[in-house]
Amino acid sequence: MGALSLEIRPDWVGVLWFDLPGEKVNKLSSPVMEELEATLDTVAKDGRIKGLVIASRKKDVFIAGADVNEIRGVTDEKAAFESARRAQLILHKIAQLSVPSVAAIDGVCLGGGLELSLACTYRIATDNPKTSLGLVEVKLGIIPGFGGTQRLPKVVGLQESLKMILNGSTVDGKKALRSGLVSACVPAGLLIEEAAALALKAAHSSAKGRPFKPKGAMNWVLEKTPFGRNLVFKKSREAVLKATKGQYPAPLAALEVIRKTHGMPVEQGLEIEARENAPLIVSDVSKNLIHLFFLMEGVKKATGVAGDTKALPVGRVGVLGAGVMGGGIAQLAADRGISVRMKDIKEEFLGKGLAEANRLFQAKVKRRRLKKHEAQFRLDRISPTLAYDGFGTLDVVIEAVVEKLPVKRQVLKEVESLTGGKVIFASNTSSLPITEIAAESAHPGQVVGMHFFNPVHRMPLVEVIRGKKTSDEAAATVYALAKAMGKVPVVCSDGPGFLVNRLLMPYMNEAAYLLLEGVPVEVVDKAMLAFGMPMGPVRLMDEVGLDVAYHVGTYLESCFKDRMKGAPLLKAISETKFLGKKGGAGFYFYDDKGKETGLNPELQNLLPSAKPAPPEGSLQERMVLPMINEASRLLAEGIVRTAGEVDLGMIMGTGFPPFRGGLLRYADTLGAARLAERLSALAQQVDSRFAPSPQILDLAKHNATFYGQEA
Amino acid sequence: MRDVVVVGGARTPNIRFNTLFKEIPAQELGRIALTEALYRAGVRPDQLDEVIFGCIGNPPEASNVGRVIALMAQVPERVPAFTVARNCASGMESIMEGTYRIACGDAEYVAAGGVESMSNIPLFFKRAAQDKFTALGMARTLGKRLGVMASFRPADFGPVIGLLQGLTDYNTKINMGQTAEILAKEFNTTRKEQDELAMLSHNRAEAATKRGRLLKEMAPVPLPPKFTQWAKEDNGIRNGQSMEALAKLKPAFDRRYGTVTAGNASQITDGACCLILTSSEKAKAEGLKVMGRIKGFTTAGLDPARMGLGPAYAIPKLMKRAGMAYKDVDLYEINEAFAAQFIACEKALDSETWCQANLGSGRFAAMDRAITNVNGSGIALGHPVGQTANRLILTLLHEMEERSLGMGMASLCVGGGQGAAMLVERR
Repeated sequence: MGALSLEIRPDWVGVLWFDLPGEKVNKLSSPVMEELEATLDTVAKDGRIKGLVIASRKKDVFIAGADVNEIRGVTDEKAAFESARRAQLILHKIAQLSVPSVAAIDGVCLGGGLELSLACTYRIATDNPKTSLGLVEVKLGIIPGFGGTQRLPKVVGLQESLKMILNGSTVDGKKALRSGLVSACVPAGLLIEEAAALALKAAHSSAKGRPFKPKGAMNWVLEKTPFGRNLVFKKSREAVLKATKGQYPAPLAALEVIRKTHGMPVEQGLEIEARENAPLIVSDVSKNLIHLFFLMEGVKKATGVAGDTKALPVGRVGVLGAGVMGGGIAQLAADRGISVRMKDIKEEFLGKGLAEANRLFQAKVKRRRLKKHEAQFRLDRISPTLAYDGFGTLDVVIEAVVEKLPVKRQVLKEVESLTGGKVIFASNTSSLPITEIAAESAHPGQVVGMHFFNPVHRMPLVEVIRGKKTSDEAAATVYALAKAMGKVPVVCSDGPGFLVNRLLMPYMNEAAYLLLEGVPVEVVDKAMLAFGMPMGPVRLMDEVGLDVAYHVGTYLESCFKDRMKGAPLLKAISETKFLGKKGGAGFYFYDDKGKETGLNPELQNLLPSAKPAPPEGSLQERMVLPMINEASRLLAEGIVRTAGEVDLGMIMGTGFPPFRGGLLRYADTLGAARLAERLSALAQQVDSRFAPSPQILDLAKHNATFYGQEA
Repeated sequence: MRDVVVVGGARTPNIRFNTLFKEIPAQELGRIALTEALYRAGVRPDQLDEVIFGCIGNPPEASNVGRVIALMAQVPERVPAFTVARNCASGMESIMEGTYRIACGDAEYVAAGGVESMSNIPLFFKRAAQDKFTALGMARTLGKRLGVMASFRPADFGPVIGLLQGLTDYNTKINMGQTAEILAKEFNTTRKEQDELAMLSHNRAEAATKRGRLLKEMAPVPLPPKFTQWAKEDNGIRNGQSMEALAKLKPAFDRRYGTVTAGNASQITDGACCLILTSSEKAKAEGLKVMGRIKGFTTAGLDPARMGLGPAYAIPKLMKRAGMAYKDVDLYEINEAFAAQFIACEKALDSETWCQANLGSGRFAAMDRAITNVNGSGIALGHPVGQTANRLILTLLHEMEERSLGMGMASLCVGGGQGAAMLVERR
C-alpha cells in the first residue's frame, strides 16, 4: 500500500492525501518521493483537474520531514549531491504544474515537509497549537536541501528566512500568517474547504502565489537594496558565529548559499544548494547530530525497563524539601499539569520554594511563553504544607531533602508509614546509593532514584536509578514521569556517582591538578570551551558549589581509591569561605544575578605562579581521557547498558558537545588503540591514575569500538 | 437515607478586610481551602461528585465562583460545581445541599465550602452614569462621543458601595447594624452587656490562638508575590481587649441612643473554609477518618428587621425535630453577628413569654456561655459572611474532638430575616 492517494472532488480540485502506512508521521522517504513524482505526473496529464490541494490524514502531522535514517546512511558526497538533486526535481514538479497548488497544513510541517509546501503556489495553516512550520535541517548539521534555501526567502523575505533557517526555528499558524509564509490561518475543520476554494480562485485568476513585500521603509532598504542585504548577511553571520562558536558549519553554509543565490532563478539556485549541502551531509558533525537525534527518538519509544511492565499514570506528586531543587521540581511538575504537594519543615523554606517556582513562571510570562493568568493557574497547582496530610493520595513522592543518608531514610520511613508503601518514593539524591536509602524499607521495590540536575528547569537529564530491589513498575513510572516533565531520562544501576557525577568528577579533578601544576584558570577553562563544553571545568566547579564538589570528590575517592584521588586543591578550598557561585565567589566572582564578573584573587593565592601552558590539545586530552577511561569501567559494571546511554547522559547532563556525538562516540573516533597508548603515556608521565582500564586495553586488542554493533 | 459524615476540612485564617488578603480574590481563597481540605481528608479531587460553595458577594469576574474554585483546585472538568446564596447561612446551605445529595445516593463525595472576600466586593456606578457609559459605547462619531462625554457630571462618579448595599435589607431598607439596635432596645440590652460579650469573645480567641488551637483547622497562606510572609492567625483578634478600650468607641448606627459599636459587632473579613463530605459507609470502606456526622439541620424565617433573632427560631425548631433538649447538646457555636443580637437570642430563649408568643412552646433554656463559642466568635474572629457557617462546623468538630464530646450545634442569624442551625455528632 502506498503513502499517497489522489481524490478528485466534484469541483475538480484534486486532493493529494499523505498517509504513510504503519507510521504516526508522514516522511519524505525515497519510496514516498517516487510515488509523489508518479502522482504529480498523473495530475499534470489530467486536463480536467483545476487545482491541487496537498494534505495529510495523520493527526497533528502534515509532513515531519525527510527520512533521517536515509540521510544517516549517505556517506558518499556524490551520492549525497545526486539524491538531493533528485528530490529537488521532484518537488519542482509541483511548482511547474500548470494548475495552482495549495499545501493544507495541519500539524507538524518541518524540513522537507515545509520545502514541499514552499513549492506549492499557496500555503494555508491551521490554528491548531500543534501546527509548526520550520526548516530545522541545521539541527542535523545540514542545510535545507529540497529547495528551502531558494524558496523561503522569496516568500517571507531575507530577514525572516535567515532567522528561520539559521536557527532552525519554527513558527505556528498565526506567526506564519504574519510573516506571509501562509496566506491564511484557519480552524482545522475548515482547512480542506478553504484550501480547495483558494485553489479554484487561483485557477480563475492569473495570480501566481504571493510574492514577498517588505513592510516599512527600513525593511525595504534591508531587503531590496544590495547595501541593506549586505548588512543583513553581515549581522546574521556575526550572530551565527557567536551562537555556534564556529563549531557547527551548517548555519554558515546556509547563509553562504542564500547570499550567493540571491536573485538567481530557482533552477540555478537549487543546484548550488545541493552542491553546498553534499559535504555537510557526509560530515562527521551531521552524523553525530543525527546520532543524537536517534538517541532521543529511542528515549521517546523506550519505557525504561526490559519487559512490558507499564508505567502507572502520575497526576499527583509530593515533593519533600522546598529548596532550590525541590522548588524547581515542583515548578516543572506544575507546569506540566501535575498537582504538587510540597512539604518542608519550616514555612520559611516552603516560601522560598514557592518563590522559586513563581520566579520561573514569571520568567515564562516575560518571554511570552505563558499568559499571566496561566502562570497563576499553574503556580496554584503547588500546595505547600508542613504536615504529611494527603500523601496517601499521591502517585509519586520525590524527595529533595539534604544529602544525608539518615535523613533520607527517615523521610522514607515517614512516607511509608503514611502510605503503606502504596506510593512510589523517588529520591533526588546526587550520590547516595538507592539500595542504601531503601535498606530499612518495608517496600524497597517502591524506592527508586530520580536525579535531576541543577538548575532543574534548564538541565534536560534525569538519571533514573534502580536500587537492587527497585521494581520494574517503579522504574517505568519514574521514567515516564521524567518524560512527562519534559526531561530526558537515562536508566542507571546503583553505584557511586551513578553516571554523570562519576564521569564529571575525574574531569573536574584533573582540572584541579592542572591548576596545581601552574596552568592558569582561564587557560584550563578556555581549552574545554574550545573543545565545545558549554563552560570550563573550573567554572563548572563554581557552579556545582566548591563544597559539594569536595564532598562528592571525597566520597568517590573513598569508593574508587587511587584512580579518583582528589587533587589537594579542593580540600584547601574547603577550608576557605568560598562556596562558588551560590556564595557569590569561588574561582570567579559573581554578581547578584549570578553573572560572572572576573577572577577571585584570593583563590589564586592557593595556586602556584603561572607557568607556560601546554598546548590546548594536550590540556583537552588530559581532561577528556579520564572521563572516557571511567566510562569504559562503568559500562563494564553495567551502570548503564549501552554506549548510547553514556553519550545521552553526557550531552543532556553536562552539555558535552552534541556535534561530537557524545563522549564514547568521540572515543570511537579516536580509536581504542590510540586511547590505550595515550593513557599509558600519561600514566607514565603524570600519574598512575591515568592507567588505561582493562576494557580499553581489551577493545584495543580486538580493534573494537565502544559502540560495536550498537551504532 | 444514608448517614453523611465530614471527613476533612480546612480554612484560611480570617483576615480583616483590606489587609493581608486584599490582593487575593475570593476564588483564590476558596482554592486554598478546597485543596487543603481534600489533602487533609485524604480524598483526591477526581473522587468528588460535586463542589458547592456558599458566597454572597460572588466576584463579578468569577461568576459561579464555586465552579471557578473547583477548576483552580485541579478538580477534573467533568465534576460539576455550583454556588449557593442564603446570605450569612450560604456556607451552611452548601453543607445542606451536599448532605442531601449524599444521603439520597446521588453523590459519594461532595466538597462543601464557603468563601467571601469582602475586600473585593466592588463599587458600582449609579444608574444615570451607567446609561451615559452605554451611550458612549454606542456613539459612532467623534461629535456624538464628545457630546456624551460632556454630559457626565462629577456626581456620576460617586460610587455605590456594594458592601453597604449587601448589608442592608432590601424590603425594609434597614441595615444590619440597625437591626441590632432594634434588638438592643427591645430586649433592654445595655452597652456594658454588649461590651462584656465582645471582651469575652476577644479574650477567648486570643487564648485559643496562643495555644495553637485555631491553627489546627487552618491552612496557613503564604502571601504572594514573595511568599516570605504567611497569614497563619486570624488577624482581627485584639489581644488584651479591655472594657475601657471598648467603652471609648462611639455608637455606629444610632449616634444618640445607640449602643452598637464597631467593637461589639462582628468584623468585616476575608476568608474561606471547606469541608469534605461523604457517606459513612464510604468513609468506612476507604478507611477515612470521620470528624463527625451531620445529624440534622433546619432554617427558619422571621421579621427582617429583627433578623438577629434567627438562632432563637432555628435552634428550638431543630431540637424539636431531633427530639432533643438544650442539655442534650455538649457544645454550641452561635455566630456573633452583633453582641446585641446574640444577647437578644439568649434573653428570648430564656423568656417564657417570648417563647410562648413566638415558638408556641414554653421557655427553651438559659444558655450557658461556658459551652458556647468557647474560642470566640464573629466579634473577635470576624464574619466573612458566606464562609462563617462552614467555619462554625469546622471549629465545632475540632473542639468536640479536643474535648471528646458527642453532640454539637452551630447556628447563625441571616440577613433578610432567617435563622439556620445544624447538629453534628461524634461517636
